[in-house]
Amino acid sequence: MALLIVVEDVGRIFRGGAKTVYALEGASFTVQEGSFVSLVGPSGCGKSTLLKIASGLLPATSGRVLVNGKSVDGPLENVGMVFQSPVLLKWRSVLGNVLLPVEFARLDRGEYVEKAKSLIRLVGLQGFEEMPPYELSGGMQQRVSLCRALVTDPQILLMDEPFGALDAMTRDELDVELLRIWGEKKMTVVFVTHNIQEAVFLSDSVVVMSPRPGRVIRELAVDLPRPRAIEMMSSPEFGRYTLEIRSMLASAGGTRPPAVGSTT
Amino acid sequence: MKFSLKNIAEPALFFLALLALWEILVKVVGVPAFILPPPRDLYTSFTAKFFILGHHSLITFTEAVGGFALSFVLGVGFAVGVVYSRHLQNTIYPLIVILYAMPKSAFAPLMVIWIGYGLFSKIAIAFLVAFFPIVVNTVVGLKEVEPELLDLARINRGSAWGVFKKIRLPNSLPYMFAGIKVALVLSVTGAIVAEFVAANEGLGYLVLQANYSLDTAFALVILLILALLSLALFVVVDVVQKKMVPWSAEVRQLEGSF
Ligand SMILES: Nc1ncnc2c1ncn2[C@@H]1O[C@H](COP(=O)(O)OP(=O)(O)OP(=O)(O)O)[C@@H](O)[C@H]1O
Ligand SMILES: [Mg+2]
Repeated sequence: MALLIVVEDVGRIFRGGAKTVYALEGASFTVQEGSFVSLVGPSGCGKSTLLKIASGLLPATSGRVLVNGKSVDGPLENVGMVFQSPVLLKWRSVLGNVLLPVEFARLDRGEYVEKAKSLIRLVGLQGFEEMPPYELSGGMQQRVSLCRALVTDPQILLMDEPFGALDAMTRDELDVELLRIWGEKKMTVVFVTHNIQEAVFLSDSVVVMSPRPGRVIRELAVDLPRPRAIEMMSSPEFGRYTLEIRSMLASAGGTRPPAVGSTT
Repeated sequence: MKFSLKNIAEPALFFLALLALWEILVKVVGVPAFILPPPRDLYTSFTAKFFILGHHSLITFTEAVGGFALSFVLGVGFAVGVVYSRHLQNTIYPLIVILYAMPKSAFAPLMVIWIGYGLFSKIAIAFLVAFFPIVVNTVVGLKEVEPELLDLARINRGSAWGVFKKIRLPNSLPYMFAGIKVALVLSVTGAIVAEFVAANEGLGYLVLQANYSLDTAFALVILLILALLSLALFVVVDVVQKKMVPWSAEVRQLEGSF
Protein backbone atom coordinates (compact mmCIF):
# COMPACT_ATOMS: atom_id res chain seq x y z
CA MET A 1 0.00 0.00 0.00
CA ALA A 2 1.17 3.45 -0.87
CA LEU A 3 1.00 6.60 1.19
CA LEU A 4 -1.77 8.73 -0.24
CA ILE A 5 -2.03 11.65 2.16
CA VAL A 6 0.80 13.02 4.25
CA VAL A 7 -0.10 15.78 6.69
CA GLU A 8 3.16 17.39 7.72
CA ASP A 9 3.40 19.73 10.69
CA VAL A 10 0.26 21.58 9.68
CA GLY A 11 -0.58 24.72 11.63
CA ARG A 12 -3.43 27.12 11.12
CA ILE A 13 -4.01 30.46 12.74
CA PHE A 14 -7.25 32.39 12.28
CA ARG A 15 -6.78 36.10 12.65
CA GLY A 16 -9.99 38.02 12.68
CA GLY A 17 -11.00 41.15 14.53
CA ALA A 18 -9.91 41.19 18.14
CA LYS A 19 -9.17 37.50 18.52
CA THR A 20 -6.48 35.27 17.10
CA VAL A 21 -7.33 31.58 17.19
CA TYR A 22 -4.58 28.99 17.04
CA ALA A 23 -6.65 26.20 15.56
CA LEU A 24 -3.91 23.74 14.63
CA GLU A 25 -0.29 23.49 15.64
CA GLY A 26 2.09 20.98 14.14
CA ALA A 27 -0.47 18.33 13.27
CA SER A 28 1.01 15.36 11.43
CA PHE A 29 -0.38 12.05 10.29
CA THR A 30 -0.49 9.85 7.22
CA VAL A 31 -3.19 8.02 5.34
CA GLN A 32 -2.49 4.87 3.33
CA GLU A 33 -4.18 4.57 -0.02
CA GLY A 34 -7.42 2.66 0.29
CA SER A 35 -7.55 2.85 4.06
CA PHE A 36 -10.21 4.17 6.39
CA VAL A 37 -8.88 6.75 8.83
CA SER A 38 -10.86 8.55 11.51
CA LEU A 39 -10.06 11.79 13.26
CA VAL A 40 -11.29 12.12 16.83
CA GLY A 41 -10.72 14.96 19.24
CA PRO A 42 -12.51 17.43 21.44
CA SER A 43 -14.79 20.00 19.91
CA GLY A 44 -12.94 22.94 18.43
CA CYS A 45 -9.58 21.16 18.12
CA GLY A 46 -9.41 21.83 14.41
CA LYS A 47 -10.73 18.63 12.83
CA SER A 48 -12.89 20.41 10.28
CA THR A 49 -10.09 22.86 9.62
CA LEU A 50 -7.71 19.97 8.99
CA LEU A 51 -10.12 18.39 6.49
CA LYS A 52 -10.44 21.70 4.69
CA ILE A 53 -6.69 22.09 4.52
CA ALA A 54 -6.29 18.53 3.27
CA SER A 55 -8.82 19.15 0.49
CA GLY A 56 -7.08 22.39 -0.49
CA LEU A 57 -10.12 24.52 0.33
CA LEU A 58 -8.20 26.35 3.03
CA PRO A 59 -4.49 27.16 3.05
CA ALA A 60 -2.37 26.09 6.03
CA THR A 61 -0.49 28.78 7.92
CA SER A 62 2.49 26.48 8.33
CA GLY A 63 3.45 22.98 7.29
CA ARG A 64 2.01 21.23 4.25
CA VAL A 65 -0.15 18.42 3.00
CA LEU A 66 1.00 16.04 0.30
CA VAL A 67 -1.51 14.08 -1.73
CA ASN A 68 -0.10 11.54 -4.17
CA GLY A 69 3.30 13.04 -3.38
CA LYS A 70 2.27 16.51 -4.53
CA SER A 71 1.94 19.48 -2.23
CA VAL A 72 -1.66 20.69 -2.02
CA ASP A 73 -2.00 24.34 -2.99
CA GLY A 74 -5.57 24.61 -4.23
CA PRO A 75 -8.84 22.68 -4.18
CA LEU A 76 -8.18 19.04 -5.05
CA GLU A 77 -10.13 17.47 -7.87
CA ASN A 78 -10.25 13.87 -6.77
CA VAL A 79 -12.14 14.51 -3.56
CA GLY A 80 -15.70 13.84 -2.47
CA MET A 81 -17.14 15.56 0.57
CA VAL A 82 -19.90 14.72 3.01
CA PHE A 83 -20.80 17.26 5.68
CA GLN A 84 -22.60 17.08 8.98
CA SER A 85 -25.80 18.33 7.40
CA PRO A 86 -26.83 16.94 4.03
CA VAL A 87 -26.98 20.41 2.35
CA LEU A 88 -29.09 19.18 -0.53
CA LEU A 89 -30.67 21.55 -3.05
CA LYS A 90 -34.35 21.77 -2.24
CA TRP A 91 -35.20 22.62 -5.83
CA ARG A 92 -33.71 19.45 -7.23
CA SER A 93 -34.76 15.85 -7.08
CA VAL A 94 -32.61 13.24 -5.39
CA LEU A 95 -31.10 12.34 -8.76
CA GLY A 96 -30.52 15.99 -9.64
CA ASN A 97 -28.71 16.49 -6.35
CA VAL A 98 -26.47 13.51 -6.92
CA LEU A 99 -25.54 14.88 -10.34
CA LEU A 100 -24.63 18.36 -9.09
CA PRO A 101 -20.83 17.73 -8.91
CA VAL A 102 -20.97 16.23 -12.40
CA GLU A 103 -22.47 19.46 -13.71
CA PHE A 104 -20.01 21.66 -11.87
CA ALA A 105 -17.13 19.60 -13.24
CA ARG A 106 -18.63 20.01 -16.75
CA LEU A 107 -18.69 16.27 -17.25
CA ASP A 108 -21.21 14.71 -19.59
CA ARG A 109 -24.36 14.52 -17.49
CA GLY A 110 -25.90 11.82 -19.68
CA GLU A 111 -22.98 9.51 -19.06
CA TYR A 112 -23.36 9.85 -15.32
CA VAL A 113 -27.11 9.37 -14.99
CA GLU A 114 -26.82 5.57 -14.89
CA LYS A 115 -23.94 5.82 -12.47
CA ALA A 116 -25.91 8.11 -10.19
CA LYS A 117 -28.87 5.78 -10.30
CA SER A 118 -26.78 2.79 -9.39
CA LEU A 119 -25.29 4.70 -6.45
CA ILE A 120 -28.80 5.59 -5.33
CA ARG A 121 -29.64 1.89 -5.52
CA LEU A 122 -26.46 1.07 -3.64
CA VAL A 123 -27.56 3.14 -0.65
CA GLY A 124 -31.03 1.62 -0.79
CA LEU A 125 -32.94 4.59 -2.14
CA GLN A 126 -34.24 3.07 -5.37
CA GLY A 127 -37.64 4.51 -6.16
CA PHE A 128 -36.79 7.85 -4.54
CA GLU A 129 -34.84 9.25 -7.52
CA GLU A 130 -37.41 11.86 -8.45
CA MET A 131 -38.40 12.86 -4.91
CA PRO A 132 -37.53 16.28 -3.54
CA PRO A 133 -35.02 15.87 -0.70
CA TYR A 134 -37.17 17.54 1.95
CA GLU A 135 -39.59 14.65 1.72
CA LEU A 136 -36.88 12.26 2.92
CA SER A 137 -35.80 11.48 6.48
CA GLY A 138 -32.49 12.81 7.81
CA GLY A 139 -30.80 9.45 7.34
CA MET A 140 -32.04 9.17 3.76
CA GLN A 141 -30.86 12.70 3.02
CA GLN A 142 -27.41 11.84 4.29
CA ARG A 143 -27.39 8.79 1.99
CA VAL A 144 -28.13 11.10 -0.93
CA SER A 145 -25.30 13.32 0.20
CA LEU A 146 -23.00 10.28 0.18
CA CYS A 147 -24.07 9.42 -3.38
CA ARG A 148 -23.34 13.01 -4.40
CA ALA A 149 -19.86 12.74 -2.93
CA LEU A 150 -19.20 9.46 -4.76
CA VAL A 151 -20.66 10.20 -8.17
CA THR A 152 -17.41 11.49 -9.67
CA ASP A 153 -15.49 8.46 -8.36
CA PRO A 154 -13.19 10.41 -6.06
CA GLN A 155 -9.98 8.86 -4.87
CA ILE A 156 -10.50 10.41 -1.45
CA LEU A 157 -13.72 10.74 0.50
CA LEU A 158 -13.69 13.38 3.25
CA MET A 159 -16.49 13.08 5.79
CA ASP A 160 -16.98 15.66 8.53
CA GLU A 161 -19.17 14.16 11.24
CA PRO A 162 -21.53 12.92 8.56
CA PHE A 163 -23.79 10.97 10.89
CA GLY A 164 -23.39 13.20 13.95
CA ALA A 165 -26.86 14.66 13.65
CA LEU A 166 -28.59 11.29 13.36
CA ASP A 167 -30.01 9.08 16.07
CA ALA A 168 -27.82 6.20 17.29
CA MET A 169 -29.74 3.50 15.46
CA THR A 170 -29.64 5.25 12.11
CA ARG A 171 -25.99 6.03 12.65
CA ASP A 172 -25.10 2.38 13.25
CA GLU A 173 -27.02 1.45 10.15
CA LEU A 174 -25.22 4.04 8.03
CA ASP A 175 -21.83 3.07 9.48
CA VAL A 176 -22.35 -0.50 8.34
CA GLU A 177 -23.53 0.69 4.98
CA LEU A 178 -20.57 3.02 4.59
CA LEU A 179 -18.17 0.13 5.24
CA ARG A 180 -19.95 -1.97 2.64
CA ILE A 181 -19.70 0.82 0.05
CA TRP A 182 -16.09 1.46 0.97
CA GLY A 183 -15.36 -2.24 0.46
CA GLU A 184 -16.94 -2.04 -2.95
CA LYS A 185 -15.51 1.28 -4.18
CA LYS A 186 -12.09 1.07 -2.52
CA MET A 187 -11.74 4.82 -2.06
CA THR A 188 -9.67 6.27 0.76
CA VAL A 189 -11.80 7.68 3.57
CA VAL A 190 -10.92 10.34 6.13
CA PHE A 191 -13.74 10.47 8.63
CA VAL A 192 -14.20 13.03 11.41
CA THR A 193 -16.30 12.05 14.38
CA HIS A 194 -16.92 12.83 18.03
CA ASN A 195 -17.88 9.28 18.64
CA ILE A 196 -15.01 7.05 19.77
CA GLN A 197 -16.92 3.83 19.22
CA GLU A 198 -17.82 4.89 15.72
CA ALA A 199 -14.19 5.73 14.99
CA VAL A 200 -12.95 2.34 16.19
CA PHE A 201 -15.73 0.46 14.44
CA LEU A 202 -15.05 2.02 11.06
CA SER A 203 -11.33 2.57 10.92
CA ASP A 204 -8.03 1.01 10.07
CA SER A 205 -6.42 3.82 11.97
CA VAL A 206 -7.70 6.41 14.42
CA VAL A 207 -5.96 9.78 14.62
CA VAL A 208 -6.42 11.14 18.14
CA MET A 209 -6.14 14.91 18.50
CA SER A 210 -5.45 17.18 21.47
CA PRO A 211 -7.60 20.16 22.44
CA ARG A 212 -6.96 23.41 20.59
CA PRO A 213 -4.45 24.15 19.25
CA GLY A 214 -4.91 20.74 17.69
CA ARG A 215 -1.99 18.36 17.48
CA VAL A 216 -2.01 14.67 16.80
CA ILE A 217 -1.49 12.74 20.03
CA ARG A 218 -1.40 9.35 18.40
CA GLU A 219 -2.23 7.40 15.29
CA LEU A 220 -3.71 4.21 16.62
CA ALA A 221 -3.95 1.23 14.26
CA VAL A 222 -7.15 -0.76 14.76
CA ASP A 223 -6.50 -4.43 14.07
CA LEU A 224 -10.02 -5.71 14.22
CA PRO A 225 -11.03 -8.20 11.55
CA ARG A 226 -13.15 -7.16 8.59
CA PRO A 227 -15.93 -7.27 7.58
CA ARG A 228 -17.09 -5.67 10.78
CA ALA A 229 -20.48 -6.10 12.32
CA ILE A 230 -22.20 -4.00 14.96
CA GLU A 231 -22.02 -6.89 17.46
CA MET A 232 -18.25 -6.49 17.52
CA MET A 233 -18.74 -3.35 19.54
CA SER A 234 -19.33 -5.49 22.60
CA SER A 235 -16.16 -7.56 22.20
CA PRO A 236 -13.30 -7.08 24.70
CA GLU A 237 -10.80 -6.07 21.98
CA PHE A 238 -13.15 -3.38 20.82
CA GLY A 239 -13.51 -2.18 24.39
CA ARG A 240 -9.74 -2.00 24.78
CA TYR A 241 -9.43 0.27 21.76
CA THR A 242 -12.15 2.66 22.89
CA LEU A 243 -10.76 2.73 26.42
CA GLU A 244 -7.30 3.50 25.15
CA ILE A 245 -8.53 6.38 23.01
CA ARG A 246 -10.65 7.65 25.82
CA SER A 247 -7.77 7.77 28.27
CA MET A 248 -5.55 9.44 25.67
CA LEU A 249 -8.15 12.14 25.23
CA ALA A 250 -8.59 12.41 28.98
CA SER A 251 -4.90 12.84 29.72
CA ALA A 252 -4.74 15.46 26.96
CA GLY A 253 -7.44 17.31 28.88
CA GLY A 254 -10.16 16.99 26.30
CA THR A 255 -12.71 14.82 28.02
CA ARG A 256 -13.66 13.37 31.37
CA PRO A 257 -11.52 10.44 32.56
CA PRO A 258 -13.21 7.07 32.14
CA ALA A 259 -15.06 5.70 35.11
CA VAL A 260 -13.38 2.77 36.89
CA GLY A 261 -14.45 -0.51 35.34
CA SER A 262 -15.92 1.08 32.26
CA THR A 263 -15.19 -0.77 29.05
CA THR A 264 -16.03 1.91 26.52
CA MET B 1 -55.17 25.47 3.77
CA LYS B 2 -57.85 23.37 2.17
CA PHE B 3 -60.85 24.96 0.52
CA SER B 4 -63.41 22.87 2.28
CA LEU B 5 -66.98 24.05 2.54
CA LYS B 6 -66.39 24.97 6.14
CA ASN B 7 -63.39 27.12 5.32
CA ILE B 8 -65.45 29.17 2.87
CA ALA B 9 -68.76 29.15 4.68
CA GLU B 10 -67.41 30.36 8.00
CA PRO B 11 -65.83 33.66 6.89
CA ALA B 12 -68.67 34.27 4.43
CA LEU B 13 -71.28 33.93 7.16
CA PHE B 14 -69.22 36.13 9.42
CA PHE B 15 -69.05 38.84 6.76
CA LEU B 16 -72.79 38.72 6.17
CA ALA B 17 -73.41 39.02 9.88
CA LEU B 18 -71.04 42.00 10.03
CA LEU B 19 -72.86 43.71 7.15
CA ALA B 20 -76.21 43.10 8.77
CA LEU B 21 -74.96 44.49 12.08
CA TRP B 22 -73.57 47.54 10.29
CA GLU B 23 -76.88 48.17 8.48
CA ILE B 24 -78.89 47.81 11.68
CA LEU B 25 -76.59 49.94 13.81
CA VAL B 26 -76.53 52.77 11.30
CA LYS B 27 -80.35 52.73 11.13
CA VAL B 28 -80.93 52.44 14.86
CA VAL B 29 -78.36 55.00 15.97
CA GLY B 30 -79.22 57.30 13.08
CA VAL B 31 -75.69 58.01 11.86
CA PRO B 32 -75.77 60.56 9.00
CA ALA B 33 -74.92 58.96 5.64
CA PHE B 34 -71.93 61.25 5.00
CA ILE B 35 -70.26 59.87 8.11
CA LEU B 36 -71.09 56.22 7.77
CA PRO B 37 -73.54 55.16 5.08
CA PRO B 38 -75.26 51.77 5.41
CA PRO B 39 -73.89 48.93 3.26
CA ARG B 40 -76.96 49.17 1.04
CA ASP B 41 -75.78 52.62 -0.10
CA LEU B 42 -72.39 51.18 -0.95
CA TYR B 43 -74.03 48.61 -3.16
CA THR B 44 -76.14 51.21 -4.93
CA SER B 45 -73.14 53.41 -5.45
CA PHE B 46 -71.14 50.48 -6.81
CA THR B 47 -73.74 49.48 -9.39
CA ALA B 48 -74.45 53.05 -10.44
CA LYS B 49 -70.79 53.89 -11.05
CA PHE B 50 -69.62 50.50 -12.23
CA PHE B 51 -68.07 51.66 -15.50
CA ILE B 52 -66.42 54.74 -14.04
CA LEU B 53 -64.91 52.50 -11.38
CA GLY B 54 -63.72 50.08 -14.03
CA HIS B 55 -61.99 52.80 -16.01
CA HIS B 56 -60.20 54.33 -13.05
CA SER B 57 -59.27 50.94 -11.59
CA LEU B 58 -57.56 50.11 -14.82
CA ILE B 59 -55.53 53.32 -14.60
CA THR B 60 -54.41 52.63 -11.05
CA PHE B 61 -53.75 49.00 -11.86
CA THR B 62 -51.52 50.02 -14.76
CA GLU B 63 -49.57 52.46 -12.60
CA ALA B 64 -49.10 50.00 -9.76
CA VAL B 65 -48.17 47.02 -11.90
CA GLY B 66 -46.00 49.18 -14.16
CA GLY B 67 -44.10 50.54 -11.17
CA PHE B 68 -43.83 47.08 -9.69
CA ALA B 69 -42.55 45.54 -12.93
CA LEU B 70 -39.90 48.21 -13.16
CA SER B 71 -38.88 47.69 -9.54
CA PHE B 72 -38.70 43.94 -10.09
CA VAL B 73 -36.44 44.13 -13.12
CA LEU B 74 -34.19 46.84 -11.75
CA GLY B 75 -34.35 45.53 -8.17
CA VAL B 76 -33.27 41.99 -9.03
CA GLY B 77 -30.58 43.32 -11.34
CA PHE B 78 -29.34 45.67 -8.66
CA ALA B 79 -29.38 42.93 -6.02
CA VAL B 80 -27.23 40.70 -8.20
CA GLY B 81 -24.87 43.63 -8.74
CA VAL B 82 -24.59 44.31 -5.02
CA VAL B 83 -23.89 40.67 -4.22
CA TYR B 84 -21.23 40.31 -6.89
CA SER B 85 -19.57 43.71 -6.86
CA ARG B 86 -17.85 45.12 -3.85
CA HIS B 87 -17.77 48.51 -5.55
CA LEU B 88 -21.53 48.62 -5.92
CA GLN B 89 -21.91 47.47 -2.34
CA ASN B 90 -19.61 50.25 -1.15
CA THR B 91 -20.99 53.06 -3.26
CA ILE B 92 -24.57 52.82 -4.41
CA TYR B 93 -25.94 50.52 -1.73
CA PRO B 94 -25.52 53.07 1.11
CA LEU B 95 -27.22 55.61 -1.12
CA ILE B 96 -30.16 53.28 -1.59
CA VAL B 97 -30.36 52.78 2.17
CA ILE B 98 -30.57 56.54 2.69
CA LEU B 99 -33.22 56.74 0.01
CA TYR B 100 -35.09 53.99 1.78
CA ALA B 101 -35.10 55.95 5.02
CA MET B 102 -36.90 58.81 3.28
CA PRO B 103 -40.69 58.69 2.98
CA LYS B 104 -40.82 57.83 -0.68
CA SER B 105 -44.34 59.08 -1.27
CA ALA B 106 -43.06 62.53 -0.30
CA PHE B 107 -41.35 62.43 -3.69
CA ALA B 108 -44.73 62.56 -5.39
CA PRO B 109 -44.89 66.38 -5.77
CA LEU B 110 -41.31 66.38 -7.06
CA MET B 111 -42.11 63.65 -9.54
CA VAL B 112 -44.80 65.87 -10.99
CA ILE B 113 -42.17 68.54 -11.61
CA TRP B 114 -39.65 66.05 -12.94
CA ILE B 115 -41.81 63.74 -14.99
CA GLY B 116 -45.11 65.50 -15.40
CA TYR B 117 -48.73 65.11 -14.60
CA GLY B 118 -49.47 61.85 -16.35
CA LEU B 119 -49.12 58.13 -15.84
CA PHE B 120 -45.35 58.07 -15.56
CA SER B 121 -45.01 60.15 -12.41
CA LYS B 122 -47.31 57.62 -10.71
CA ILE B 123 -45.36 54.69 -12.05
CA ALA B 124 -42.23 56.36 -10.71
CA ILE B 125 -43.62 56.53 -7.17
CA ALA B 126 -44.96 52.97 -7.33
CA PHE B 127 -41.49 51.95 -8.49
CA LEU B 128 -39.78 53.80 -5.65
CA VAL B 129 -41.82 52.20 -2.89
CA ALA B 130 -41.58 48.72 -4.42
CA PHE B 131 -37.88 48.78 -5.24
CA PHE B 132 -36.43 48.38 -1.78
CA PRO B 133 -38.24 45.27 -0.57
CA ILE B 134 -37.29 43.53 -3.81
CA VAL B 135 -33.62 44.48 -3.46
CA VAL B 136 -33.29 43.61 0.21
CA ASN B 137 -35.00 40.25 -0.02
CA THR B 138 -33.18 39.24 -3.17
CA VAL B 139 -29.81 40.22 -1.70
CA VAL B 140 -30.48 38.09 1.38
CA GLY B 141 -31.63 35.16 -0.75
CA LEU B 142 -28.56 35.32 -2.97
CA LYS B 143 -26.23 35.50 0.02
CA GLU B 144 -27.76 32.99 2.42
CA VAL B 145 -26.25 29.99 0.73
CA GLU B 146 -24.85 27.12 2.77
CA PRO B 147 -21.05 27.50 2.63
CA GLU B 148 -20.69 23.74 2.13
CA LEU B 149 -22.36 24.08 -1.26
CA LEU B 150 -19.78 26.63 -2.28
CA ASP B 151 -17.02 24.24 -1.13
CA LEU B 152 -18.62 21.56 -3.25
CA ALA B 153 -18.58 23.87 -6.25
CA ARG B 154 -14.93 24.77 -5.68
CA ILE B 155 -13.84 21.17 -5.37
CA ASN B 156 -15.55 20.35 -8.65
CA ARG B 157 -14.21 23.44 -10.43
CA GLY B 158 -17.66 24.98 -10.76
CA SER B 159 -17.77 28.30 -12.59
CA ALA B 160 -19.10 31.50 -11.02
CA TRP B 161 -21.95 31.37 -13.51
CA GLY B 162 -22.72 27.79 -12.51
CA VAL B 163 -22.81 28.75 -8.83
CA PHE B 164 -25.13 31.63 -9.64
CA LYS B 165 -27.46 29.61 -11.83
CA LYS B 166 -27.53 26.37 -9.88
CA ILE B 167 -27.23 27.62 -6.31
CA ARG B 168 -27.62 31.33 -5.62
CA LEU B 169 -30.50 32.18 -7.92
CA PRO B 170 -32.79 29.27 -7.01
CA ASN B 171 -31.85 29.78 -3.38
CA SER B 172 -33.04 33.39 -3.59
CA LEU B 173 -36.45 32.59 -5.08
CA PRO B 174 -38.45 32.12 -1.85
CA TYR B 175 -36.95 35.35 -0.50
CA MET B 176 -37.60 37.11 -3.78
CA PHE B 177 -41.25 36.08 -3.70
CA ALA B 178 -41.60 37.38 -0.15
CA GLY B 179 -40.23 40.68 -1.44
CA ILE B 180 -42.56 40.65 -4.44
CA LYS B 181 -45.61 40.27 -2.23
CA VAL B 182 -44.66 43.24 -0.10
CA ALA B 183 -43.65 45.25 -3.16
CA LEU B 184 -46.94 44.69 -4.97
CA VAL B 185 -49.09 45.87 -2.09
CA LEU B 186 -46.80 48.87 -1.59
CA SER B 187 -46.89 49.75 -5.27
CA VAL B 188 -50.69 50.02 -5.16
CA THR B 189 -50.38 52.35 -2.18
CA GLY B 190 -47.67 54.30 -3.98
CA ALA B 191 -49.84 54.79 -7.05
CA ILE B 192 -52.77 56.00 -4.94
CA VAL B 193 -50.69 58.50 -3.00
CA ALA B 194 -49.22 59.82 -6.24
CA GLU B 195 -52.73 60.28 -7.56
CA PHE B 196 -53.71 62.18 -4.41
CA VAL B 197 -50.99 64.68 -5.19
CA ALA B 198 -51.75 65.40 -8.79
CA ALA B 199 -53.96 63.47 -11.15
CA ASN B 200 -57.14 63.56 -13.14
CA GLU B 201 -57.57 59.83 -13.36
CA GLY B 202 -57.26 56.76 -11.17
CA LEU B 203 -58.84 55.52 -7.97
CA GLY B 204 -56.84 57.94 -5.82
CA TYR B 205 -58.20 60.84 -7.82
CA LEU B 206 -61.68 59.35 -7.58
CA VAL B 207 -61.50 59.06 -3.78
CA LEU B 208 -60.65 62.74 -3.56
CA GLN B 209 -63.58 63.61 -5.81
CA ALA B 210 -65.92 61.53 -3.67
CA ASN B 211 -64.59 63.28 -0.57
CA TYR B 212 -65.17 66.75 -2.01
CA SER B 213 -68.80 65.91 -2.67
CA LEU B 214 -69.17 64.15 0.70
CA ASP B 215 -70.07 60.97 -1.17
CA THR B 216 -68.83 58.71 1.62
CA ALA B 217 -70.49 55.62 0.22
CA PHE B 218 -68.59 55.98 -3.04
CA ALA B 219 -65.31 56.64 -1.23
CA LEU B 220 -65.78 53.45 0.77
CA VAL B 221 -66.58 51.51 -2.38
CA ILE B 222 -63.34 52.71 -3.90
CA LEU B 223 -61.38 51.66 -0.82
CA LEU B 224 -62.94 48.22 -1.03
CA ILE B 225 -61.99 47.98 -4.68
CA LEU B 226 -58.45 48.94 -3.79
CA ALA B 227 -58.37 46.21 -1.17
CA LEU B 228 -59.62 43.70 -3.72
CA LEU B 229 -57.06 44.88 -6.24
CA SER B 230 -54.18 44.37 -3.80
CA LEU B 231 -55.59 41.06 -2.70
CA ALA B 232 -55.98 39.83 -6.26
CA LEU B 233 -52.38 40.73 -7.06
CA PHE B 234 -51.24 38.97 -3.90
CA VAL B 235 -53.16 35.83 -4.75
CA VAL B 236 -51.77 35.75 -8.29
CA VAL B 237 -48.23 35.95 -6.93
CA ASP B 238 -48.98 33.28 -4.37
CA VAL B 239 -50.26 30.91 -7.04
CA VAL B 240 -47.21 31.55 -9.23
CA GLN B 241 -44.97 30.99 -6.22
CA LYS B 242 -46.57 27.64 -5.38
CA LYS B 243 -46.03 26.56 -8.99
CA MET B 244 -42.53 27.90 -9.43
CA VAL B 245 -41.09 27.45 -5.94
CA PRO B 246 -42.87 24.54 -4.34
CA TRP B 247 -40.13 24.26 -1.75
CA SER B 248 -40.63 27.76 -0.34
CA ALA B 249 -42.98 26.44 2.34
CA GLU B 250 -40.00 24.34 3.37
CA VAL B 251 -37.79 27.40 3.69
CA ARG B 252 -40.36 29.21 5.76
CA GLN B 253 -40.73 26.19 8.00
CA LEU B 254 -36.99 26.13 8.54
CA GLU B 255 -36.93 29.80 9.43
CA GLY B 256 -39.80 29.31 11.78
CA SER B 257 -38.34 26.35 13.60
CA PHE B 258 -34.94 27.85 14.42
N1 LIG C 1 -13.16 30.65 9.36
C1 LIG C 1 -12.76 30.73 10.63
N2 LIG C 1 -12.45 31.94 11.18
C2 LIG C 1 -12.05 32.04 12.46
N3 LIG C 1 -11.92 30.99 13.28
C3 LIG C 1 -12.21 29.77 12.81
C4 LIG C 1 -12.65 29.58 11.46
N4 LIG C 1 -12.86 28.26 11.27
C5 LIG C 1 -12.57 27.66 12.44
N5 LIG C 1 -12.18 28.57 13.36
C6 LIG C 1 -11.77 28.27 14.74
O1 LIG C 1 -10.81 27.26 14.69
C7 LIG C 1 -11.00 26.33 15.74
C8 LIG C 1 -11.14 24.94 15.16
O2 LIG C 1 -12.34 24.86 14.42
P1 LIG C 1 -12.84 23.53 13.73
O3 LIG C 1 -14.15 23.82 13.14
O4 LIG C 1 -11.79 23.01 12.84
O5 LIG C 1 -12.99 22.56 14.99
P2 LIG C 1 -13.58 21.08 15.03
O6 LIG C 1 -12.55 20.22 15.63
O7 LIG C 1 -14.09 20.69 13.70
O8 LIG C 1 -14.77 21.25 16.06
P3 LIG C 1 -16.14 20.44 16.11
O9 LIG C 1 -15.82 19.08 16.61
O10 LIG C 1 -16.95 21.19 17.11
O11 LIG C 1 -16.72 20.45 14.74
C9 LIG C 1 -12.23 26.80 16.49
O12 LIG C 1 -11.81 27.47 17.64
C10 LIG C 1 -12.91 27.73 15.55
O13 LIG C 1 -13.55 28.75 16.26
MG1 LIG D 1 -16.03 20.36 12.93
